[in-house]
Amino acid sequence: MELFADRPKPAMSDRRAELERKKAKLQALREEKERRRREKELKDVKEATDRAHLVAGGDRKELDEMLSEVGVAPLSEVYSSISSANSLTPEPSRNHTPDTSLQMNSLPNNVIAVRKKAPQLTVVPVQSTNIPPKEVVVYTKQTQTTATGHELRDGFSSASSSPLKGYMEDWWRPRKAHATDYYDEYNLNPGLEWEDEFTVLTYDDPQGEDEENSLPHIGVSKLPPGILPHGLPQVKEVQPAVTQVEQEAKKEHETKEIRELSEEEKQMIILSEDFQQFIDRSGRIMERALCETVDIYTDYSGIGEDALDEKCHQRISFNRTFYDERWSKNRTITSLDWSTQFPELLLASYNNNEESPNDPDGVVLVWNTKFKKTTPEYIFHCQSAVLSTTFARFHPNLILGGTYSGQIVLWDNRVQKRTPIQRTPLSTTAHTHPVYCMSVVGTQNAHNLISISTDGRMCSWSLDMLGQPQDTLDLSRTQSKPVAVTCLDFPSSDVNNFVIGSEEGAAYSACRHGAKTGITETYEGHQGPITGISVNSVQGGIDFSHMFLTSSFDWTIKLWSLKDSKPIYSFDDNGDYLLNLKWSPVHPALFAAVDCCGRLDLWNLNQDTEVPAASVTVEGMPALNKVSWTPSGLHVTVGDNLGRIHVYDVAENFAHPRHDEWNKFLYTTQELRNSQVDEELEKLNYSVSNINPSSF
Amino acid sequence: MSNEVEETMKRIQSHKGVVGTIVVNSEGIPIKTTLDNTTTVQYAGLISSLADKARSVVRDLDPSNDLTFLRIRSKKHEIMVAPDKEFILIVVQNPTD
Repeated sequence: MELFADRPKPAMSDRRAELERKKAKLQALREEKERRRREKELKDVKEATDRAHLVAGGDRKELDEMLSEVGVAPLSEVYSSISSANSLTPEPSRNHTPDTSLQMNSLPNNVIAVRKKAPQLTVVPVQSTNIPPKEVVVYTKQTQTTATGHELRDGFSSASSSPLKGYMEDWWRPRKAHATDYYDEYNLNPGLEWEDEFTVLTYDDPQGEDEENSLPHIGVSKLPPGILPHGLPQVKEVQPAVTQVEQEAKKEHETKEIRELSEEEKQMIILSEDFQQFIDRSGRIMERALCETVDIYTDYSGIGEDALDEKCHQRISFNRTFYDERWSKNRTITSLDWSTQFPELLLASYNNNEESPNDPDGVVLVWNTKFKKTTPEYIFHCQSAVLSTTFARFHPNLILGGTYSGQIVLWDNRVQKRTPIQRTPLSTTAHTHPVYCMSVVGTQNAHNLISISTDGRMCSWSLDMLGQPQDTLDLSRTQSKPVAVTCLDFPSSDVNNFVIGSEEGAAYSACRHGAKTGITETYEGHQGPITGISVNSVQGGIDFSHMFLTSSFDWTIKLWSLKDSKPIYSFDDNGDYLLNLKWSPVHPALFAAVDCCGRLDLWNLNQDTEVPAASVTVEGMPALNKVSWTPSGLHVTVGDNLGRIHVYDVAENFAHPRHDEWNKFLYTTQELRNSQVDEELEKLNYSVSNINPSSF
Repeated sequence: MSNEVEETMKRIQSHKGVVGTIVVNSEGIPIKTTLDNTTTVQYAGLISSLADKARSVVRDLDPSNDLTFLRIRSKKHEIMVAPDKEFILIVVQNPTD
């Protein structure tokens, strides 16, 4: 314990002494610090004055005098005041003191400024104007995009009051439920109260628009209570994002964008397949439309009846001409055929045009008798003159042609091509001579094209295979003498037997199949080449398919029966080459014949066998090369040597047979036969009587 | 091939009373014409939009139907329009003679 008590004592006393020492030391430090600070201040002042002395030098006194004259304290005083200021705020002054060169000049000014800085404040009355800020209300886009109205837009310029009007209309109505349909003026205009809510005129407000027209100006009295007219804010109408104007403008822009195609682009389009097809199709339609002059203003009250009557009395009357300047001019029509699928389509083949050697020699045109359009429906051509043509009976799109070179060519109206799509080879297996006769025989499932050339060769073709004939047959009278065939006809529904006319003036019957193929019978009687042959093909009570007619260069037409090698009758009315003839397809005793000087005769054997029942001369008297009947039997078409096809109407009562015509015709032929026999007898008697006297 | 187009155009143009023939594409841009430029552009624009409208009318009435031909008969002219998928053939004629 003692030990412990003793120890702290010396320690305590030591410590106290130490503290005393430290205190004394601190005091000394403080004093030292103070002293140093004072010394520094003194030094600063001294430095400043020294500097002034240094710069001003001897001028100081003069300066002081000048200053005192002006009433300014001498320089020393100023310096002392500065030094005192410096002592008060030593840091900034030291920092902001300009450099010595400036100090000299700036000091006096500073003094003046300080002196002037004592303002004398007085109370002055001030006029105050209060300019309220312009209130510009711009509301958000949403407010107006509820709908767009075309009409209101037009009123923009005219009426700044237009929005007001909508408001006028609507202020008493229940407020519309648009969340954004309010003006900021609810806040800005203190006159407005929520009871005076009004709906903003939106673009879908037709009511407001109607009112706009009826009320050019709004009466102030109409204003709702609480709203001052002049206090209404100026509402700027903000266009909705997309308006009709814009759309229209856009459209206008688009139309402006329609640029002209360059020549190359046009040419590209014109050469495209699509364009060709379009022109082909539309051109055809357009031509038909152009030619249909259906007079919808027809007046049936009597005008034009005379002509109608006159026509009725005529047995044959001109209808129209088919002619194409480019394709049929100066070309002899070599054959005519009718489509079985489309009875209005007439197919015609044309010989070469000697005046235009650059054009293709052979032309085939398809004409349409249904429409008044005067241009061909289809145009086909090939290098060799086409002497015979026929529709491929069971393929409505295919057209066949027999050419001068001996080739059979095939066109297709589905193809955008005027040249043949197929042709038979020129070889000894097929034809090497001109093909003047062609016919498609058979049924839908088994049919053949029969063609005969002038060297007597007959070929049967399958349309699927034109590479080589299915069958060939050389028609010859004897083994050595071939028949130069000029015309051919098949009795209807017969595929085996047929009749042909020849250049040497004889007609022949022949058959394709059987024990004895080739020529079976010879019918001699004509003195010149046979130009036309036609088998009676009228269906009816009595079958006359054994009766056939021939026309010849010897100016006569002869009526034959297959069963008889001598003609039944000879028609000697004509005075020129007869070029063609054809039985009517509906009347058993009616046929048409044409001759070289433009005469078309219609013979009705039941009426008269001496002279034709009706006769007409084609204008210009061209040589009429071919004649044909429409399938209806109501029109006769004749093709001439100048490229024209003339269509004649046959009076219906004349063209259509009465029910007794068949019996009558049988009777007529019997009579003709009898008279033939009588003639023969007479001749015989005459020769006998001639012989008798000589013998006596 | 293109001379067949020419031939068809010439044939149509040679018909009695035909004033002009225009072929435009589906955008109403003239491709071939026999009329002067301004008239052609005017006809092409107006007729093609009319044909579009007429087609939409026909189709709206019966969706399986389609416009095939359009004849506009006016006091002075008859305008015949043969529209197609891609092209329109327009023929203007004087029906009075």
